[in-house]
Amino acid sequence: MGEYNKPLPYVNGDSREFWAGCKEHELRFQKCQACGHVRWPASIICPVCYSKETEWIVAEGKGRVYTFAVYHVAYHPGFENDLPYVVADVELKEGPRLVTNIVGCRPDEVRCEMPVEVTWEDITKDFSLPKFKPRG
Amino acid sequence: MERKADDAVFGHFGLVANYALAARRAMHTFRTGPETWKRIAVGQRKWANLNPAATMVERPMTFEDYYNARWIVEPFRLFDTCLMTDGGRAVIITSAERARDLRHPPVLIMGMGQDNPSYEVHQATHLAGPTGAKKAGEMAFGMAGITLKDVDACEIYDCFTYTVEITLQDYGFFGPGEGEDWLKDGTIEPGGRMPVNTSGGQLSEAYYMGLTPLSEAVMQLMGRCGNRQLGPATNTKLPEIILCSDNGGTLQTHSCIILRRS
Repeated sequence: MGEYNKPLPYVNGDSREFWAGCKEHELRFQKCQACGHVRWPASIICPVCYSKETEWIVAEGKGRVYTFAVYHVAYHPGFENDLPYVVADVELKEGPRLVTNIVGCRPDEVRCEMPVEVTWEDITKDFSLPKFKPRG
Repeated sequence: MERKADDAVFGHFGLVANYALAARRAMHTFRTGPETWKRIAVGQRKWANLNPAATMVERPMTFEDYYNARWIVEPFRLFDTCLMTDGGRAVIITSAERARDLRHPPVLIMGMGQDNPSYEVHQATHLAGPTGAKKAGEMAFGMAGITLKDVDACEIYDCFTYTVEITLQDYGFFGPGEGEDWLKDGTIEPGGRMPVNTSGGQLSEAYYMGLTPLSEAVMQLMGRCGNRQLGPATNTKLPEIILCSDNGGTLQTHSCIILRRS
């Protein structure tokens, strides 16, 4: 897997738990213990009620495509062989919306509100990426 | 490999794609898409063809040209996206009293407004409107004491064709999904009943951020626009009032200004 030539996640103190979860094929998000809001991106306070009381939950991995875009230009050489590829904003059942890729179908088959589920791509020994595929 | 913001991990880069996400959500929410946007791209190009300073002055465009252009990030084709430009624009702002002594006729500010929904595109719920244009427009019209009916032309921040549509829609020129009909028959073109982006805009003149629309509005109201001058030269009404917009981020910030001839 040394040949992986795409950008790798930038892990910081807020997102470390998320990426550690991905490595275990788990989608971990912070849930506010004061108001129940499940948030992404990771942050030290709840963007809804500003509470710092947080627990990490594991999302089921099911959601729907909120919106998507089909790339016909590679803005990074690592993606040249993937064209055309789909970047989507997937809304998970638990609430957060996640930028990701839709795989397992043709770009022209993707629709807004299409049900999708997570599928994992192990890209290096340290990182796995949550991508999404159509759900029946 | 280098480490980047998490979007880049999934091959997501930059504003063309962010606005493409917004435009795609709009296509799901109301009737819009290339059929609507082609009228903005082609309409503005007709203005650019009258503007010697425009990058695209010598490049006419048809609907067919619009559809034949390559995809960039779908649903945007090449001519849905603005130009990239090196250069500059400036306007000078002073008191009305001081301006009366200057060589050129001044343009007066009637009203302005701002609204900044701020949410980053991936968590935003305003991608298909109402964007900040709605509240900013209401503030500006309130301050100016006028309504949409008093507006003679618009200079709308046009990083993408969809930005023009959603801005005009949120200002209230037409309801969600009615843009295609409103734009038909050359509404925004030379000779049209509501000229929009009369320099060619950022799609066809040059990209000077908010100063492309603002400087054009000022120049039109000063009567300094030559072949593209609103009035008899372009079979349009001589403008008394022009509505102008700017927006930033991915529909995250919006400002609106209404100007009038002195």
